[in-house]
Amino acid sequence: MKRTCTVCIALVALLSLVSLPLFSQGTADQAKASGPTTIELWYGAAITEAGPPPADWVGFQIIKDKLNIDLKLTALPSNESDQDVKVQAAAAANNLPDLFMVRRDVLTRLVPQGLVAPVDDLYEKMPIRTAKHYDEVSRSHARFNGKTYGLADPGSINKNEGLLIRKDWLDKLGLSVPKTTDELLAVMRAFTFNDPDGNGKHDTYGYGAFQEINNYEAWPGRRLEPIFGAFGVDGTWNMTASNAGLNILKPEFFDAMSLLKQMADEGIIDPNWLAYKKDDFRAAWKQGRFGIMREQNAAFAAQANYAPFDKNFPNGEWIIIDPPTGPKGHASIGPYTAGFRIYAISAKAVKEGKKDKIAALLEWMASDEGYYLLGWGVEGVNYTKDANGIPVAANLPNPDLAFSAPGGQTVTQLRNMVFYNGDIELYARYPKYITATSKKEMSALDVLRVMQTKKWTPAVGSDTLPIPNADLKRFYEQGLSEFITGKRSLTRDNWNKWIDEFKRLGGQDWNDKGVAFAKENNLLN
Amino acid sequence: MEQKNKKPKGRFTSVAVRPTAADHSFNLAVDIFLMVLLVIIAVPLWSTITLSFRPNDYIGNNLQGMFLAPWQWSNAAYKALLGNAGFVLAFGNSVKILIGGVVTALLLTIPLAYVLSIHTLPGRRYLNLLIIIPYVFNVGMIPSYLLVTNLGLIDKLAAVFLPGAISTYNCLIMRSFFEGIPNELKESARIDGATEIQVLMLVILPLSKAIIMTIGLFYGVSFWNDFFHAMLYLNNNQLQPLPILLRNILMASGMNEYVEVSAFGDAPIAAIKAASVFMSAIPMVIAYPFIQKYFTKGTLLGSVKG
Repeated sequence: MKRTCTVCIALVALLSLVSLPLFSQGTADQAKASGPTTIELWYGAAITEAGPPPADWVGFQIIKDKLNIDLKLTALPSNESDQDVKVQAAAAANNLPDLFMVRRDVLTRLVPQGLVAPVDDLYEKMPIRTAKHYDEVSRSHARFNGKTYGLADPGSINKNEGLLIRKDWLDKLGLSVPKTTDELLAVMRAFTFNDPDGNGKHDTYGYGAFQEINNYEAWPGRRLEPIFGAFGVDGTWNMTASNAGLNILKPEFFDAMSLLKQMADEGIIDPNWLAYKKDDFRAAWKQGRFGIMREQNAAFAAQANYAPFDKNFPNGEWIIIDPPTGPKGHASIGPYTAGFRIYAISAKAVKEGKKDKIAALLEWMASDEGYYLLGWGVEGVNYTKDANGIPVAANLPNPDLAFSAPGGQTVTQLRNMVFYNGDIELYARYPKYITATSKKEMSALDVLRVMQTKKWTPAVGSDTLPIPNADLKRFYEQGLSEFITGKRSLTRDNWNKWIDEFKRLGGQDWNDKGVAFAKENNLLN
Repeated sequence: MEQKNKKPKGRFTSVAVRPTAADHSFNLAVDIFLMVLLVIIAVPLWSTITLSFRPNDYIGNNLQGMFLAPWQWSNAAYKALLGNAGFVLAFGNSVKILIGGVVTALLLTIPLAYVLSIHTLPGRRYLNLLIIIPYVFNVGMIPSYLLVTNLGLIDKLAAVFLPGAISTYNCLIMRSFFEGIPNELKESARIDGATEIQVLMLVILPLSKAIIMTIGLFYGVSFWNDFFHAMLYLNNNQLQPLPILLRNILMASGMNEYVEVSAFGDAPIAAIKAASVFMSAIPMVIAYPFIQKYFTKGTLLGSVKG
């Protein structure tokens, strides 16, 4: 017995010996030192796979010298749900960083817990940044009970997608650009059955798409919004004051579904659309599989993205067209919202007196010095300016360090904190180029500008409306896809029964809460 | 022919049973099942490998890509990955976590399993209960996070492996193995004057290579693949291991439509994803054949008593 006890004691001692050095490591840097204020920033990386700014990044020193701030950076995980987990775990431990990017869903949970601080007083402390980044829509995006709890910076560019059609196919078949849904159907049939690529095979389809859904974009997602837009039911929500509510509850939604069902039944939409992922869809149009699609400007026209299509079809040409008009005169590429990236300040940081330092840091980022340093790096090292003052990756002593080269990308990881979709960024991001095979001049920016002139449905704030619970969401998505695939018969009677069931399962409640929220927050048009 | 007709010699001769049609059918079914299993395993693996070698100008679908001739393959993705400082750093961090994790886990698990295997240990039943309760009722993410934070382990590689350094499941397997070692061996060592530490070090451990290798492999795989703890506890990006980078790479195509560049230059992003998946699996793929002999023995021995 004595021996056994000795063994136990010895082993416990061994465990402690092994563990102690590991435990003790963490406490070394806890002590606060006088000097620069430490600001811990959890940011969303511009290029997630590229890695963080290096430890000797010049920005750290400039920020320390000019603002007396010791900036500690952490890149948030690339996936939004991982970001949420990380932020919420830190919140639970009252260990949120001083300044952090957060999704609105999570912010709505942090505000009632008192873990984030209001930022209304910061706008006037940051005049340059406020003028460029924060308008009234931005301020209201993170407003709860009359106070704004996050700095909503501009996110992705509005209206950056368009309806595209293969003009070379139209020309070959002697067709004109479709303007109505009937004409669109006729063109789809011709693209499917009249061999537009002239290879003698039945290997083309009229329309191409894939299911692209998230909490705010319900099934079938944005790729098919021009079809639903022709019936005035594009997007999850109708945001007009006179007809606010879930589009699925509008009678026109059945008509849009019927058109989509007709496309599927006639086989004039690529039958793989229900199975495609984003990459498959993009590979498919580059392989000439379909002739009409809704696509994003850069995904279509940026040099690397367009190159395979150019190589495969040197005479191929996509043009941006107006959305088709439906029977009642509706037409839309889809709904648009104002995309934002929200940066919140923790209540802990405010308690520690860091709020003014954070304001100074953000204001410096918006200054010319911060804007170019965070956006493109060091002039002469990572970029040069062309005759128009636009940063370009040319005439650099070491091209590997160009802001667009793998070696230079780490120093621009914070650029989403300074970019506001201004002209300089867009010119730099989307330069004109000559395609390798067909020698066409292309510009994703020109494409964007044209896309923005088309008819869109304003739905600003619709992405702040309540989201359905998982069961209701599943019922919604599964039911609609079953109507299209034929698992459920799409008749008016069946549809009404299904809608009744949807309402009973919580759809009516979701609709009512959404409308109430939209009215309360003046989001209706 | 002569060989075929030879009858087995010896005191007990077995009667050669002619396989029936049912036996043949059963064997055929087993063969088909195994073939299907092989295809299910091999096709995705081959698809990943061929995808990782796919050239940038490749036009075609995934099925066609699997039959791309090797002379059309491109190693651009591997060159880009190995030339990327972030990948090398993450790989190094993963190796540190792997080594630190396996060593720590074995150092903690072996003594605990040994102590629990001693039948005369006072309070042994309660100790077992103490270990099994958290195994059945997991404490959850937030209490674990609070504990790790309070221990000052945030931004320490140890945060990735220390919370899981003793796996109850592994510990119980090892305990069962130790219990299966004949008590007489321990007794004779004690009679020769060995202390308990000496018994463990000189008698038990040399007889337990199989279980140590097996459990070490279990730990190694779990630490190598651990994404969640690294994501949660490592804020310093310089410390992030391979699973985090892998996740970032796998998410990359969603981002690249908004930017004009990829962190991996001209290599196609799909090939980069596949290459990173393949490369991250390589260490474990290499380790398995060396540990296989212990692995089979270890798991079997641990499961049979008496």
